[in-house]
Amino acid sequence: MPALLKIEHLSKVFPGQVALDDVDLTIEAGTTHALVGQNGSGKSTLIKILAGYHQPTGSEGRATYYGNDPAGEPLELGDGRAAERDGVRFVHQDLGLVEALTTVENLALGDGFTTRFGKINWRANVVRARRALAAIGFESVDVKLPVGTLAPAQKTGVALARALLGWEHDAHLLVLDEPTASLPARDVRHLFEAIRRLKERGVAILYVSHHLDEVFEIADEVSVLRDGRRIATERVESLDHDRLIELMIGHKIVQGRSGAGPAGDEVLVDVRALHGANLHGVDLQVRAGEVVGVAGITGSGRESLLPLLTGQVPSSSGSVEINGHFVDNYSPGDVLRAGGAFVTADRKGLGVFALMSVVDNTTICDVGRNARHGRLDKRAERADAGAWIDRLSVKTATPQAPIGTLSGGNQQKVLFARGLRLEPQVLMLDEPTQGIDVGAKEEIHLLIDRSANEGAAVVVASTDTDELVRVATRVVVMRNGHIVTELEGDAINSVEIERAQLAITDRTGENSST
Amino acid sequence: MTTTSDPVRSEPDAFELALPSKTWVQKSGLDKYSALYLWAGFMIVFSLTQPQFLTWTSISLVLTEKAIVALLALAFLVPLISDTFDLSIGMMMGFSIAITTALAQNTGNPQALNAVIAVLACAAVGFVSGFIVVKLRVNSFIATLGMSQVLAAANILISGNRTINGVLSDAYRDFGRTKLLGLPLYFYFVMLIALILWFVLEQTPLGRYLFATGGNTDAARLSGLRTDMLQWGTLVASAVLASIAGLIHTWKVGTYSSSIGPGFLFPAIAAVFFGASQLKGRPNVWGTLIALYALAFGVKGLQLTFTTGTAWIEPLFEGVSLLIAVALASRQGIIKVPKRRKRDDASTSAAPPGEAATA
Repeated sequence: MPALLKIEHLSKVFPGQVALDDVDLTIEAGTTHALVGQNGSGKSTLIKILAGYHQPTGSEGRATYYGNDPAGEPLELGDGRAAERDGVRFVHQDLGLVEALTTVENLALGDGFTTRFGKINWRANVVRARRALAAIGFESVDVKLPVGTLAPAQKTGVALARALLGWEHDAHLLVLDEPTASLPARDVRHLFEAIRRLKERGVAILYVSHHLDEVFEIADEVSVLRDGRRIATERVESLDHDRLIELMIGHKIVQGRSGAGPAGDEVLVDVRALHGANLHGVDLQVRAGEVVGVAGITGSGRESLLPLLTGQVPSSSGSVEINGHFVDNYSPGDVLRAGGAFVTADRKGLGVFALMSVVDNTTICDVGRNARHGRLDKRAERADAGAWIDRLSVKTATPQAPIGTLSGGNQQKVLFARGLRLEPQVLMLDEPTQGIDVGAKEEIHLLIDRSANEGAAVVVASTDTDELVRVATRVVVMRNGHIVTELEGDAINSVEIERAQLAITDRTGENSST
Repeated sequence: MTTTSDPVRSEPDAFELALPSKTWVQKSGLDKYSALYLWAGFMIVFSLTQPQFLTWTSISLVLTEKAIVALLALAFLVPLISDTFDLSIGMMMGFSIAITTALAQNTGNPQALNAVIAVLACAAVGFVSGFIVVKLRVNSFIATLGMSQVLAAANILISGNRTINGVLSDAYRDFGRTKLLGLPLYFYFVMLIALILWFVLEQTPLGRYLFATGGNTDAARLSGLRTDMLQWGTLVASAVLASIAGLIHTWKVGTYSSSIGPGFLFPAIAAVFFGASQLKGRPNVWGTLIALYALAFGVKGLQLTFTTGTAWIEPLFEGVSLLIAVALASRQGIIKVPKRRKRDDASTSAAPPGEAATA
């Protein structure tokens, strides 16, 4: 097969982190090319550079595109519009659909409406939308319904149709970023059917996924990224699951090295039959001094466990007992009163008060502590917050600076200070070091060790396997909304965790539509 | 945000508002103290050009004339801090006046009792607005706009769609006539309320919780705050404050007419938003009052300058100064987007030619 897209010497450096290191990648025309790797291996950075969301670092990185000209022509990396013009299209994980608009309208947002005398020609647009969906096997979608009312698979279909609109007949490249993360089993079949049809028409597909069974089913070739480097590109026939996992993880086995001491006997977190979001019955007990890591790929339920535990989203059934108190459903305040504290995964949306000062952000959960006869003693409050700013070495121009002016890592430390200030018995952390640099990461890991040693029960949910290995004294692995594996002692290492979360998934389709 | 063009963009998830170097607007204080500048400017210019301007008569007149709008502005301020709009305060004030005067007209109640009834009735309406916003999940802007029309209807029913005049006793009206140091008592009353609100909003945990709710409602809820109850409470508070504004109006003027309430709404809202750009960069009590009185003195000076046909001055002035003040305060939030070149000059030699990408 001739090459369609050839990427050479692509590098990307973020502050404190090399995301891509001299990566070459060739995608052949008319093939499905899977891109796999652990979290943080550089997959999404590569996709985002192709899509123009990030710029490559340095000037060595170049790409040659053979879609329009057999001799090849250079493609500007980091220029999303150039890629789009040349026929590279993307379906990102979040799909990017406007839920309140109909399928017809969503399709028109990318490619424009067909008009007659300046008026939208609805009939022509409806016909075009139906045709586009039929071409990939989604005839069943009612194109006049708001996209928000469609089933997950149908939404994926609409996103596919939109990406393909306008160049149905050219041989080009479609990039699918984790398209199945939130799809039930029968819908995955449907998506694969659409992919096969596209392939028959000569469209090349770059398929990013955590689901290795999908890779084996749909891909012709697979490239493995590890720590920002391309480790291998192989035909899938020449690989099996174990070999692929080995390529992803490498031979280095990072062994558990939590700094937490032995656990106590007292059970401080007791979760029974918790249902809600995409959890289908989770039981979990955490004892004092324990650090329980929660692992699982996106869609496994890992991302929902802490929001449900801490009352960020309502659960549909089950009980949560924290420090001996049954906490009310959907009540973060009750969690805090019971002696829990938590840091959410969405720092910007659910964590910080961007325009309020570092001091105000630190003390918000218990402002009254520094009040005397109803009046806030602001000096005492500054001293209170200042002590935490020092203890966690938060770097800020002044304690009065708006928290929005701090770096991500320092904002995260302030959110830790907010929780630790409550002297919690139970600390629940969702992606505690997401998007922060290596130095701040280790400081936060030390804080987790220290909290456990002081007798708190700690729960850490993370997509970063190395992080779980670093902090956890026990790891629970989630799949399909259940905890399926528990790892303790020597079993806490990167290989075991990856194996457990990547194991062939039994997609029984229980998390059906909506 | 516009300083160095680092080739490495910041980390993908980072949410950073780098402290920009100070602009001339910030150095001069025009962003945070523009109303004070304006006020000082008016005082200087008009005291030089208009001999009557810097007299106690006109100063005390401006201070007392604007006391009711000032209180109404504070009524708008309290819910706004928790990110809740109350557009019904104008009609609420009219509602309070209608109840007080209609009860005086039709019953033999002591007038103090009538006033208490008016305040309680307004609080009840505020409670209903809160219910609609918090429990029925209606956007506060729409809920209070709707409530405003309901109150308009209530006012017509209560007053019989007539102006109510001369029904209040002299003893009651004396509240509005008694002066202390040349200013009526109610002026001090409004200032006292402002002082109390400042204390609650800036000096107590409750105030902090309200600002947090307004700053990021989701994060506030996850910090254990009952954001829904806080917002509900602010709507009751704004209703009570608006009802007191109505009472002051009955002391001062003593008349109900259907046109009273709504006309006060815009100046009150304008003062809050203009005031939000003052001192703190967020809605606050003293900024609101400074903005209000700076404009009031400007209007007074202009009215003295153009002696005839001056009705247009006030709305024009209020509108334009609101726009200018908020624009000045927004300058730091405006991101300058530099033109992007194809590639940094340093790397052109190593890069492949970029013609392919230029259509």
